[in-house]
Amino acid sequence: MSDAASLTTAPVPQASNAATAQPETMSWDSRSRRMVVLWLPLACFVIILLFPFYWMAITAFKPNAELYDYKTYNPFLIGSPTLAHIRLLLFETSYPRWLTTTMTVAVASTFLSLFASTLAAYAIQRLRFRGSQYVGLAIYLAYLVPPSILFIPLATMVFQLGLFDTPFALILTYPTFLIPFCTWLLIGYFKSIPYELEECALIDGATRVQILTKITLPLAVPGLISAGIFSFTLSWNEFIYALAFIQSSEKKTVPVAILTELVTGDVYQWGALMAGSLLGSLPVAIFYSFFVDYYVSSLTGAVKE
Amino acid sequence: MAIITRRRALQLGAAGATALAAAERAAAQSRIPAADVPAPNLPIESGATLRMLRPVRFVQPDEEVFRANAAKFTQATGVQVRIDFVGWEDINQQTAVTANTGAGPDLIMGFSDAPHIYADKLIEVTDIAEYLGRKYGGWLPLARKYGIRHGTQNWIGLPFGASSGPLVYRKSAMTEVGFQRAPDDHAGFLDLCRKLKAANKPAGFALGNAVGDGNGFANWLVWSHGGYLVDEDGKVAINSRETVAALNYLRELYPTFVPGTIAWGDISNNRAYSASECWLTANGVSLYFSLKNDPATRPIAEDSEHQLLPKGVLTQHPMSGLTLNAMVFRHSRFPNAARAFLAFMMEAEQYDPWLIANLGYWAQPLAAYKDSAVWTSDPKVAIFRDSMNNEFWNGYKGPISEASGQANAEYVMVQMCASVASGQATPEAAAREAERRARRIFRR
Repeated sequence: MSDAASLTTAPVPQASNAATAQPETMSWDSRSRRMVVLWLPLACFVIILLFPFYWMAITAFKPNAELYDYKTYNPFLIGSPTLAHIRLLLFETSYPRWLTTTMTVAVASTFLSLFASTLAAYAIQRLRFRGSQYVGLAIYLAYLVPPSILFIPLATMVFQLGLFDTPFALILTYPTFLIPFCTWLLIGYFKSIPYELEECALIDGATRVQILTKITLPLAVPGLISAGIFSFTLSWNEFIYALAFIQSSEKKTVPVAILTELVTGDVYQWGALMAGSLLGSLPVAIFYSFFVDYYVSSLTGAVKE
Repeated sequence: MAIITRRRALQLGAAGATALAAAERAAAQSRIPAADVPAPNLPIESGATLRMLRPVRFVQPDEEVFRANAAKFTQATGVQVRIDFVGWEDINQQTAVTANTGAGPDLIMGFSDAPHIYADKLIEVTDIAEYLGRKYGGWLPLARKYGIRHGTQNWIGLPFGASSGPLVYRKSAMTEVGFQRAPDDHAGFLDLCRKLKAANKPAGFALGNAVGDGNGFANWLVWSHGGYLVDEDGKVAINSRETVAALNYLRELYPTFVPGTIAWGDISNNRAYSASECWLTANGVSLYFSLKNDPATRPIAEDSEHQLLPKGVLTQHPMSGLTLNAMVFRHSRFPNAARAFLAFMMEAEQYDPWLIANLGYWAQPLAAYKDSAVWTSDPKVAIFRDSMNNEFWNGYKGPISEASGQANAEYVMVQMCASVASGQATPEAAAREAERRARRIFRR
């Protein structure tokens, strides 16, 4: 429908009666237009995003016979749900332990990365020392080196430090890709915080550390949360370092351990694998849901001058 | 707990002990002939401990009996042994890290060509291999190929077993189209597949990038026509009259397959066969057991039979096997303990119960174990007994090397076949392209 047509057909809002008015629709807007330009694309988007979760969920509760036979059973529905896969995952593997290890590693490496990135980003953005721009660029270039190239040199260092096959091997190597990412994210965020605020604090006699802790960081909380969510998710899902640096079964993280435990040769325990992936994605989803407002605000703009 | 100490060995977990006891009871029925050969003198280093990585089990008793056997070694020698299991797809990365950093486990049980790729990082195991060979009737051909370094008589790997991928088919479908078994000649096999297709019970073989099934089928196709990737000296020989004949044959065979086989991975034929969408394929014994263990699919298992891949123009069945191949790294501080451990695990008292616990998933590398009770436990798995008694390997007929491993990993043979099956290339063009790729890989 054209704008001209909608202008003629759209009802005129009753300004005098706010309770019965339709404040969401502008005069040029209409229900059908909103359906086409808003709800339909949104529905497609939601379906595409949520379908993997739906597939994971139904696979986790489907008996094997239904999983394999698409002719007899509708692949999108469950005929007779079963908890057998969840039972296998939780009681016949060390899944709870893997989950704890993954959580520990993800939380520790996230905090470590945030701490280092905050200092790095602040120094690069605010101290403006000679060559700070190049340092920023160098940190970013480090992020571009793929882990598949880095894992063997890093393994040598991990061995020499005596960290092989310990959670510290991951806690200390994950920041190699988390710090560059977080630093760049925070550089951008710090840039959006007015410099005048810091100048005022300087005039009042605040030190650099006081400015950072009392002025900049409280204003940068959305940016920190955004970087934290990214770091946590990347650490949670990381595969190749966890595979290369951890060899003991009981110290593995969820992404590696479920493959080791639930894929035997060419036999995949699909139900339990999907249950493991579903349960493994829940902490990230919960973590995300708590901070989604901060996250959005960090992406849409920071402090207004 | 993975570290096996003396105390741990004495307090062996109930599950492991039960599995071992069951396997040992069955092993008592085996009559493994053993020659009286003196064991090599391997004085175990003081304070030795060992750490081993191996691929994850097929079946739970595999792990339990393997650990219990390691505990017996600890009891006998006082050497603590820690064994970790890693996913099949992940063992190569773990081996690469271990070999390149010069630290980590003392022993890794990798797959097939792994010792040949890291030969310079390994300790030879010739002494224990020769001892075991003399004691247990000699090493089977595939074991010798994967164990001995090319051009020498030195053993760099100690094969523990292999799993092959013969034909697996539904007996009822075969009977319905007038066959008792799959013919050994190409024309007969094509006729069978056409009739199965006409009966709406089609065959299906992986033509996608499937490590086991894809390479297995492509290798069979070329080998059974007399072709091969490289000759005995490692010179690329894929662009041959035999290869073109094989690809022409594929052009006729492929339309009889269930749709979608060009995208098949290793697990696809398992799913299609379990859902009765495909009635003839090639797979390891895992498919049979996964069908047998699920009450919903047990009737399919009962209707299934195994048969070696058709010979084609050859006199032998052209098929190889995925081989468990143990290696001892140079960085190990306890090389004697490591070799003593491997020899101990291959002795009949340990190896036969382990073989039995594996139900036929792995087949022995030493001739004497053909008399193991596992091969009479289920008539449908007996065919896997000779998995290592064949003369074909990945990279046939050339030396096993990093290049042959790379050609396998890059699916040179599989993609050559897939390009013809999909109609993207003529047999001649596909063979030329495979030759170009192989030359690049084998140039070093």
